[in-house]
Amino acid sequence: MSGKMVSITVDGASALVEAGSSLLEACAAAGAKVPTLCHLKDVSSNASCGLCVVEVEGAKSLVRACVGSVGEGMKVATSSPRVMRARRNAVELLLANHPADCLTCARSGSCELQDAALTLGIRQVRFPRTRAAPKLDVSTDGLVRDNDKCILCGRCVAVCSEIQGVSAISLAGRGIRTRVATFMDRGLAASPCVQCGQCSVVCPTGAITERDDTEELWRELAKPGGTVVVQTAPAIRASLGEALGMEPGSLVTGKMVAALRRIGFDKVFDTQFTADLTIMEEGSELIQRLTKGGKLPMITSCSPGWINFIEYFYPSLLPHLSTCKSPQQMFGALAKTYYAEKAGLDPAAMRLASIMPCTAKKHEAKRPEMRGAWEYWSAKAGASPDTAAYYDVDWALTTRELARMITRAGIDIARLPEEEFDDPLGASTGAATIFGTTGGVMEAALRTVYEIVTGSPLPTLDFEAVRGLVGIKSAEVDLAGTKVRVAVAHTLKNARVLLDEIAAGTSPYHFIEVMTCPGGCVGGGGQPVRVDQAKRLARNAAMYAEDRRLGLRRSHENPSVKALYAEFLGEPLGHLSHELLHTTYARRTD
Amino acid sequence: MPSTTTTQRKAPTLDELIERHKGKPGALLGLLENAQELEKFRYLSEPTLRRIAEGMALPLSQVYSVATFYSFFNLEPQGLHSLVVCRGTACHTRGSLELLETALARLGIEGFREDESNSVTTPDGFASIRTVACFGQCALAPVVQVDGTIHSRMTVGKLVAAIEKLRKVPAPEAPKSK
Repeated sequence: MSGKMVSITVDGASALVEAGSSLLEACAAAGAKVPTLCHLKDVSSNASCGLCVVEVEGAKSLVRACVGSVGEGMKVATSSPRVMRARRNAVELLLANHPADCLTCARSGSCELQDAALTLGIRQVRFPRTRAAPKLDVSTDGLVRDNDKCILCGRCVAVCSEIQGVSAISLAGRGIRTRVATFMDRGLAASPCVQCGQCSVVCPTGAITERDDTEELWRELAKPGGTVVVQTAPAIRASLGEALGMEPGSLVTGKMVAALRRIGFDKVFDTQFTADLTIMEEGSELIQRLTKGGKLPMITSCSPGWINFIEYFYPSLLPHLSTCKSPQQMFGALAKTYYAEKAGLDPAAMRLASIMPCTAKKHEAKRPEMRGAWEYWSAKAGASPDTAAYYDVDWALTTRELARMITRAGIDIARLPEEEFDDPLGASTGAATIFGTTGGVMEAALRTVYEIVTGSPLPTLDFEAVRGLVGIKSAEVDLAGTKVRVAVAHTLKNARVLLDEIAAGTSPYHFIEVMTCPGGCVGGGGQPVRVDQAKRLARNAAMYAEDRRLGLRRSHENPSVKALYAEFLGEPLGHLSHELLHTTYARRTD
Repeated sequence: MPSTTTTQRKAPTLDELIERHKGKPGALLGLLENAQELEKFRYLSEPTLRRIAEGMALPLSQVYSVATFYSFFNLEPQGLHSLVVCRGTACHTRGSLELLETALARLGIEGFREDESNSVTTPDGFASIRTVACFGQCALAPVVQVDGTIHSRMTVGKLVAAIEKLRKVPAPEAPKSK
């Protein structure tokens, strides 16, 4: 923007707005709220919903504010009878083919169509249904698509192609048969979909949601005598408060722990414990690849949407991935081996839930190779395993699902005391916290790797070069005379840029961090809906605040991780680590 | 044997077509059209769509999006004969729904829904019925196209006769690629 201003009139009041801005932005700046359903700032403006129409003096027809731009002297009416009539018509037409099952919809209360109907005072639907009810797409572990609730705004299609570069879905057909579809309408599982869930975050209605695992978990929690433990990902503490109506960026670590105890979990643990462990393993792997030879650049492997992406789109680059399982899966493997043994629990009977900012984590938990504990105990028991195979992680729930559980249990999170995680899998450092934000895994790794290699701590623990929401960040670190070049990408479209460099043989980097979602896990597909850049930044800031709050800020200082190595694993990259904490990848086709 | 010059040009293969269109913006539409003409039953098969997506470096979903948007493209093998019933406003007000229902009944097709699909083929492959939004022949409504010929001011009687005639004449040649 040039910064040049133009003067316009909005609803009779004059306003000075930036030249070149959209009518939508200009009206908002002038204090007039223009409703939208399809517009998604910086991502898409299909002008398909027709809700944002305004009257511009001299224009023949109404103008869609999202795509119209301001001009000097423009006179705009945002709430004239003509505008109101057009908006009501647009919403009524959408409602004609939208099921009226708000009471039982997962998005009730956060639905933008519901809001629009409410705002415009619509009390009846005049038009009959004209569209056949389509089938549900329940083909994936992470997401459920209900095209009956789709209003064809195109936001999901836009994030899938423009933000993620995946293009699993597109608008297919025309007229009354128009629908959001995968190739040949086969459903997400038969498409390149990586289950990142960004579509579920931007969907204005309940047409794309996470697969709900809360019912099964409630049933399990109610069983007498069972042991159900829970782990919480770093990013949850920076977004759960927001999901429950608090300010974006509210940090609720202690209250979240208290709420989970009240819901009925026997132990409340922290995925940050295994985030620290990931740094020990991945850091050691990096040092090994740097000093003893190995595929470089090495790329992080914590983000399951990213793993799905590289397995589908760049299978030839799989050797670049760190072999480390994600913190969620390391936790699962250890909870049902190390911890089960320590606590005297039957690993086959104990249940583990994860609270994740992510829909792809649901899929990751169900990958057949993620049964490390069962394999471990089966090997111990001899040739024939004495139990049916079980997963390391039984359910991965999103932030949104946990918020629903807390609400259903009648827990007022704001009034809860701050409680501590249980030992020993609840101890963590600030380095683990920042796993939840873009650049965090890199920063955590550098804090530890630098110290291991040089023998002295980083001059400053705050590694600013890899922080912030720039799409691709890079830096150079001097590791005892060796210049190590690192890069950080968030969103898969940005990851593509770095991968294409590797494929072309021009990548200058040694170590790359990739997170699937915008902003990293704080902007994850399982996070509170209606997110924007400001909210991502607020959640991001909360992560760094937590990092500073925790006394220990380097993963190798975590006392419980040290104990884990001393009592159980031996050393990083040791035999048992390979068995429980590392994994393999394979080409994925649709 | 050395090949002799003939006046008939050999139809290009799908790969040749892709090579011809590759890298040109907006080329997908023309490529899909040519690819459909190559096919004996005038449709775009799944392998064809996959080959096109790969060759043009386009997402499968996008190719599918274009192929399903235009009523010209068929994703199922088409019958030997084709009936296209205009369901535009002018034709509708002059009885095109009855014409569509007549054609369906005469060809023994059940369960066709306009809100689900725009074309249907008899199980024996004898004929396909397709609906379109408008032929641009509104003054002559209702219109029905039978094997490429547009019949204006169509009536149920004329349509029944046209269908009966189809059973007696051989099917037209599949259109040749230029």
